[in-house]
Amino acid sequence: MKSRVTITLITRVFLLVLFGLASDLRADEAQARQILVEAILSSGKEQTALVESLSSTAAPIVPDYLEFWKRGKIYLYQTDPDVDPIPVLEHEAETEGEASTYSRIVDGEIIVDEAGNPLVLDPEKMEMARPGRKTRRVFTMTVDLLALSTPDVSDRADAALKLGLKQDKDILPKLRELSSKETEPLVIEALEEGIAVSMLAHGSKEEQMESIQVLKDRNSIAGLDALKNLRHDINDGYAPYPLTEEEKAELDESIASIESYISVTDFVGTCFRGLSLGAVLLIVALGLAITFGLMGVINMAHGEMIAIGAYAAYISQQIFYTVFSQSTFALETYFLFAIPFSFIVAALCGLVLERTVIQFLYKRPLESLLATWGVSLILQQGFRLVFGAANRQVRSPSWLLGNVEIFDITFGFNRIFVIGFAILIVVGTWLLMSRTPFGLSIRAVMQDPQMAAAMGIRINRVRMMTFAFGSGLAGLAGVFLSQIGSVGSNLGQSYIVDSFMVVVAGGVGNIVGTVISALGIGVTDQALQPLLGPVMGRICVLIAIILFLQWKPGGLFPSKSRNLD
Amino acid sequence: MHQSFRKLLRSFRAGALVSAGALLGLHAQADEDDTVKVGILHSLSGTMAISETSLRDVLLFAIDEINADGGVLGKQIEPIVVDGASDWPLFAEKAKQLLVQDEVAVTFGCWTSVSRKSVLPVFEEYDGLLFYPVQYEGEEQSPNIFYTAEAVNQQAIPAVDFLLEEGRDKFYLIGTDYVYPQTTNLVLLEYLLSKGIPLRNIGGGLRKDADGEVISAGTYTPFGHTDYQQIMADIKKFAASGDAAVINTINGDSNVAFFKEYAAAGLTAEEVPVVSFSLSEDEFRSLPAEDLVGQLGCWTYFMSLDTPENEEFVANFQDWLQTADVDGLERDGRVTCSPMVLSYDGVYLWKKAVEKAGSFDVDKVISALESGISFDGPGGTVTTQENHHLTKNVYIGETLPDGQFEVIESFDDVYGEPFLKGTFSEE
Repeated sequence: MKSRVTITLITRVFLLVLFGLASDLRADEAQARQILVEAILSSGKEQTALVESLSSTAAPIVPDYLEFWKRGKIYLYQTDPDVDPIPVLEHEAETEGEASTYSRIVDGEIIVDEAGNPLVLDPEKMEMARPGRKTRRVFTMTVDLLALSTPDVSDRADAALKLGLKQDKDILPKLRELSSKETEPLVIEALEEGIAVSMLAHGSKEEQMESIQVLKDRNSIAGLDALKNLRHDINDGYAPYPLTEEEKAELDESIASIESYISVTDFVGTCFRGLSLGAVLLIVALGLAITFGLMGVINMAHGEMIAIGAYAAYISQQIFYTVFSQSTFALETYFLFAIPFSFIVAALCGLVLERTVIQFLYKRPLESLLATWGVSLILQQGFRLVFGAANRQVRSPSWLLGNVEIFDITFGFNRIFVIGFAILIVVGTWLLMSRTPFGLSIRAVMQDPQMAAAMGIRINRVRMMTFAFGSGLAGLAGVFLSQIGSVGSNLGQSYIVDSFMVVVAGGVGNIVGTVISALGIGVTDQALQPLLGPVMGRICVLIAIILFLQWKPGGLFPSKSRNLD
Repeated sequence: MHQSFRKLLRSFRAGALVSAGALLGLHAQADEDDTVKVGILHSLSGTMAISETSLRDVLLFAIDEINADGGVLGKQIEPIVVDGASDWPLFAEKAKQLLVQDEVAVTFGCWTSVSRKSVLPVFEEYDGLLFYPVQYEGEEQSPNIFYTAEAVNQQAIPAVDFLLEEGRDKFYLIGTDYVYPQTTNLVLLEYLLSKGIPLRNIGGGLRKDADGEVISAGTYTPFGHTDYQQIMADIKKFAASGDAAVINTINGDSNVAFFKEYAAAGLTAEEVPVVSFSLSEDEFRSLPAEDLVGQLGCWTYFMSLDTPENEEFVANFQDWLQTADVDGLERDGRVTCSPMVLSYDGVYLWKKAVEKAGSFDVDKVISALESGISFDGPGGTVTTQENHHLTKNVYIGETLPDGQFEVIESFDDVYGEPFLKGTFSEE
């Protein structure tokens, strides 16, 4: 956010220097500052009118100052009880303990003492300047109107569309005037769409019909409501002009066309969201596919291995915060460190679990269920003792937060990341299993431990490493889950059912089956959600899996290797 | 003069008793006649412990304050703390224990509506008195419960009014799947329709019964739900034409996932503001506050309130936290929030009512409360009403990066109205 502001500021300055407008700007800015001061000192209707008049100045500082004002960064500084207070802007100190500095709104200069050092103002003489209730409401409108003339193309386009959607009679001429001057295609499109929506309410009959056509051609989701409202108005007899049957048909067709466009984007979006949910399920279940699927250990503590990974991500965040103080650098990079760190921590915990509990229970799956369930309870209580009952917060680096929008479908970076992450892990696991000597010994031990031992494989060690690897994968799942929700002692519990579901439905002992069942469950869940809601959707997925297992008890790909019977 | 003499005499007597007890090697227990037992019934373990432990703390703080000041009707308050363990039937059992075995004069407790509903018959049967402090869905009025909580018209309605005034005319309703969000949203739906908002401007979906009567409005997710992608896509589509807002009644952890997904979908507080009814300063301690900047909250108290009463309350509470001797008390990073202040107000209202009635007798105290008792609490003056609710101030706040709220709107002395459903008529 901050960086974006800097970039726009730099562009502004650059453009101004380029066109030699610097002196004009100074005049504009001085005027805008004067109005701002007056507005802050006034109240009621006068204040509202002054803020509205700001939209006619071309000073780029205005939106920032309005934001500061709204956020309570602007104070009235009373130097003398007989004189009007001076509006000042607070610049909060970056480091703790240091005092804030203040600049005068009227000229933007920092207030200094005689020696030229920033003056520490007496808090007794300060009073926060609050914009009036009505004034706050014109802020956004003023900012949008100002944004129509900013150099930033996407800001300009957003503002044009937003103002058009207001269907305000007074703004329409301004939008028209701008569209005749505008050269950026993106903004022109937004202006056309905005004007079309606005004209639906205020244009002549011809213009209305033209707007209907424009909105249809543009597949305007934003304009759909306006079209529907017009349709309602016609039905209720409120429409400004009576439409002929033919024209009504045209309107209906426009609505239908946009709606069908929406259903296409919904479909594609749902597929993407289903894939991403499937990827989350896959990451969560892959570790279990190895420990349960390949090794046959019913590990009820698998969820806690996920939680360990998530807590490890939290710990690495805290380490980075301590080492690099709470800086942007720490926030942006800790995650890259957290991935291997969580893997290693969870793998080590898995190793300990295998050595202390599981190695004695390879031949007794039911007892391993009970023992690991006990371990999971102990671990959960352990998390509470170490980290407290309250959930811990893991922040997402900014490169996981944004999104890209293609044809009105939003692709969140975190979702794209999880799909990529899942692909990497699956490919890595597959390579390890099929292309390395270690993978070969794993497969040998799982298929026939006695024979493998006879061939000289140290089966104890292989089992130990395999279990550690599966736990490490659970740790990786934890890192990712820490980016979706918060980290708490119950984190694993909410995913253990999902994990078993995926592994069992995919066919125990089969990694390809796990991949397909994870993606299948993910897509089905997301596809059912809009129809049935999140609760019923989930129930239906569960019922579907139960029925599927009745029909194919072995899952998608029944395993023929070491089995559980 | 007379009173201070008695106080002196009493403290002397208590002191003598304590030292005598210590001398004899007995429990240093004060004289039975000199104390009045008060119950505290909250979850100190289980899923609700995060929120409810804070209420126990603030209740003990209030009791310590009153005791230091001479107690109630000359008696020291003896708190009996019991753990409901986030287990609703257990709440009923513990309530019975407090009333029958400990014979408490009053109980402060419960957070979730389901725990309140499970103790309600117990309090009615044994004629006890319960103070309930957490915003709730209304549609209830027991003769044995005093609701210091925000009623729907003291939280949801003012928030919607504020949004309507800001020019929002499309509302997306989303919440956790249980009684509070469902009921609140049904009331809100009625209210919005009465304000001329057409049904098509209500997002999240409607469910109707066979007669076409709306039985549920909005989208609901289970407790602990984390997958909000599909819902965000829906909100985005809904908000495409501008001027939309989200009314969020999601409880607990799911809010983290909700707001992370909200940011990932490219939504912003300016474009589509979210007003949340279950997120107070206390919950912000385990939420990414920086992701919530600019979002709205509506309560009858904010920690950031700039009044001398509040400053004193916050400072005293922080001091108390450092010195108090309470098991498992978290001392650092503590904040205050509306349910805490309404718990605190409840103790003082009860004290004033007892003093007015001149007796600890539940029926007399209730009629004193019904006659209208006022207390200048940290959030402003609260006054008890005949319908067992409170008249109080309501504030709307915007979230700041440090997890505090900045008050941007306030409504003074809002009358608590529990029965709203069916009171709004469509235009």
